[in-house]
Amino acid sequence: MTRSLPITAPAAEESPPAGPVESRSRRRSRRVTAHPVAGALFVLPFFLVVVAFLIVPLGYAFWLSLSSKSLATGVRFSGFDNYVRAFTDPLLLDGLLRVVLFGLVQIPIMLGIALAGALVLDAVTTKFALAFRLIAFMPYAVPAVVGALMWGFLYSRTFGPFADLPTLVGGDPIDFFSVSLLLVSLGNIVTWAWTGYNMIILYSALQGVPREMYEAAVIDGATPVQIALRVKVPAIKQAISLAAIFTVIGTMQFFTEPAIMARFAPQISAGYTPNLYAYNQAFAYSDFHYSAALSFALGFLVFVVAYAFVFVNRRRGGRK
Amino acid sequence: MPGTTWLAKLRAGLAACGLLAVAACGGASSDDGGPVKVSVWAWYPEFKGVVEAFNASHKDIQVEWTNVGTGPDQYAKLKTAFTAGKGAPDVAMVEFQQIPTFIILDALVDMGEHGANEDKGLYAEWAWSQATDGQKVYAIPVDGGPMALMYRKDLFDQHGIPVPTTWAEYADAAAKIKAADPNGHIASFGSDGGWINGLMWQSGCRPYGYSQATAKDQVKINLTAPECKRVFDLYGDLVEKGLMAKDPFFTADATAALDSGKYWTWAAAGWTPGYVAGSLKNTAGKWAVAPMPQWTAGADEQGDWGGSTFTVTKQAKNPKAATIVARELFGKSKPAWDIGLNKAFLYPLVKDVAADPAFTGKAYEFFNGQKVNEIFVPVSNKLGEFQYTPFQDFVFGELNDRSAEAMSGSRSWDSVLEETQKNVVAYAEQQGFKVSK
Repeated sequence: MTRSLPITAPAAEESPPAGPVESRSRRRSRRVTAHPVAGALFVLPFFLVVVAFLIVPLGYAFWLSLSSKSLATGVRFSGFDNYVRAFTDPLLLDGLLRVVLFGLVQIPIMLGIALAGALVLDAVTTKFALAFRLIAFMPYAVPAVVGALMWGFLYSRTFGPFADLPTLVGGDPIDFFSVSLLLVSLGNIVTWAWTGYNMIILYSALQGVPREMYEAAVIDGATPVQIALRVKVPAIKQAISLAAIFTVIGTMQFFTEPAIMARFAPQISAGYTPNLYAYNQAFAYSDFHYSAALSFALGFLVFVVAYAFVFVNRRRGGRK
Repeated sequence: MPGTTWLAKLRAGLAACGLLAVAACGGASSDDGGPVKVSVWAWYPEFKGVVEAFNASHKDIQVEWTNVGTGPDQYAKLKTAFTAGKGAPDVAMVEFQQIPTFIILDALVDMGEHGANEDKGLYAEWAWSQATDGQKVYAIPVDGGPMALMYRKDLFDQHGIPVPTTWAEYADAAAKIKAADPNGHIASFGSDGGWINGLMWQSGCRPYGYSQATAKDQVKINLTAPECKRVFDLYGDLVEKGLMAKDPFFTADATAALDSGKYWTWAAAGWTPGYVAGSLKNTAGKWAVAPMPQWTAGADEQGDWGGSTFTVTKQAKNPKAATIVARELFGKSKPAWDIGLNKAFLYPLVKDVAADPAFTGKAYEFFNGQKVNEIFVPVSNKLGEFQYTPFQDFVFGELNDRSAEAMSGSRSWDSVLEETQKNVVAYAEQQGFKVSK
């Protein structure tokens, strides 16, 4: 019980009812009006960075996307032609479909494992748990390119330990780069890289849950499993949906792993994922205009999907 | 005030080089009265020595070399720099199949204006014709990739299988290899657009035609001619029967397979021996080179896979000095070719260097003392004209992707070229070209 006090105290302070927050921000805004120059100066560095590295490039890319470049005839202003072309481009649509299917399978699996891991870490308080936390987080520290290369070797029939496993029982060796297994192989890399990261997010959220709730549940006769599923999971719902949104956005931008794995797997075509397609349009086919349009269209879709996700989540939360 | 000088320098530097183009910073300039500095992007192996040799022999021009990545990695940076209008080097290494692409991007200087036409007789004719468009000289050839058949002489001898001289015999040999060793394959179908292109070239297929000097917006695409299709018929059949493996080239798996007796042959290029000799330790000395199998017995059709050139970019500050660099980095330079031949294992497109007995008579330990250049040199001499499209990345990408579909069984082999033709024509028309067959 000694642990509960320092943990609950900041948690209670950070998620108070709406009243104190409002009054605090009102107080702050009054201070800003008192020293407008100082306030502006504090914001300035961040503002400059945002303008230089976000607003200006975005504006430039959007401007690019409104022209078309054809190799033979050069650049001309074409309005939204590139967007019409993008949304009727079978290569882009194929890639989108592939990424959506990939996400529908991979995201629940990964977040499920991350949540289970976080719940176990929260329940077990041994030295082993600390070591496990570090080990689970480690893949996230490995650069995605290195991770993809490493898995390329692990999947290899010559060097990898897995491909020949079925031959021990008389089966055929596994081809991880075959069309039927390629998405599974990629999904495994992504899951490996990101599960630990999500686990830590969820674990940190669990740390913020007031311990009194567990005590109450124990007094009510709840089993550890019931506490985990009925008390802890609802308590960190916000963190779970945050992790889910980040993962959905990451999945829509799926690029590094397929780009690296293309060396091992010729089945990864130029339009395998939308982001890979946008990259190839720009840097292989020198069509920066269409690539900008693809990127913008993709960004718009990510925005819609992420917003829809938040919206649905909030509605569901509200109903409960 | 030292502070202002520092700031002024920084500001001048940023203005001259662009905030993000640090790598290309410091192009040709001689405003301080010193030698003209020419920036070069290239990824040749052992290139450092070549640069040093150039700088030692030129007082008024000094080369500043950067390796920004191999092939596609470098092209991505070049295309970005040309789109941005700054950041490109003065001289860039460019492969043959990419020259029309960079011409149509208006990225290359016509070195003919700076006297490069004098070099016409110096280089293999096929290479010079790919590097030029009429009197316009867009590139100076360096190395080529005449194709020949590498094979495991020990295994062929041991099993009494004759070395194929025609592609029909090649298919027979493939079946015999499978019978002799169930894990063996005659080779791998590497789904490499450039390699497939070389095989089609050797089959007499001339699928592309483009000349900016004649008509900027006209391109010929004919990938469905019988000479092109028979390549896919043969290789598709071998892959479907399991006689040919499917590993992509230049992966650890493919190299291990070459070095373990899993592959018995490789229709490879003049630069391949240099590339593989270092990584095939177990089988060194067991390989030999034979001329490419022919489609008609007794014929002498040849092809090329790869090869590269130096180009001068439109962003060069001193195109005249840059042209000298492009022409003389290798050119007739003896120290450069000593490195090129003996350390980097380039196949020289300089006729005198290729004809030199020191090159043709060179015995390779990797090939058990065989003088393999006696085979590669006549191949290069036999190569005729072959043109590329101004969007060759797209064509090679299509060839890769459609072949990969055939290898995975989701497309029939005889539809690979038809689909590629259809997609390439659609792309070309979308890019504003008039397409002829």
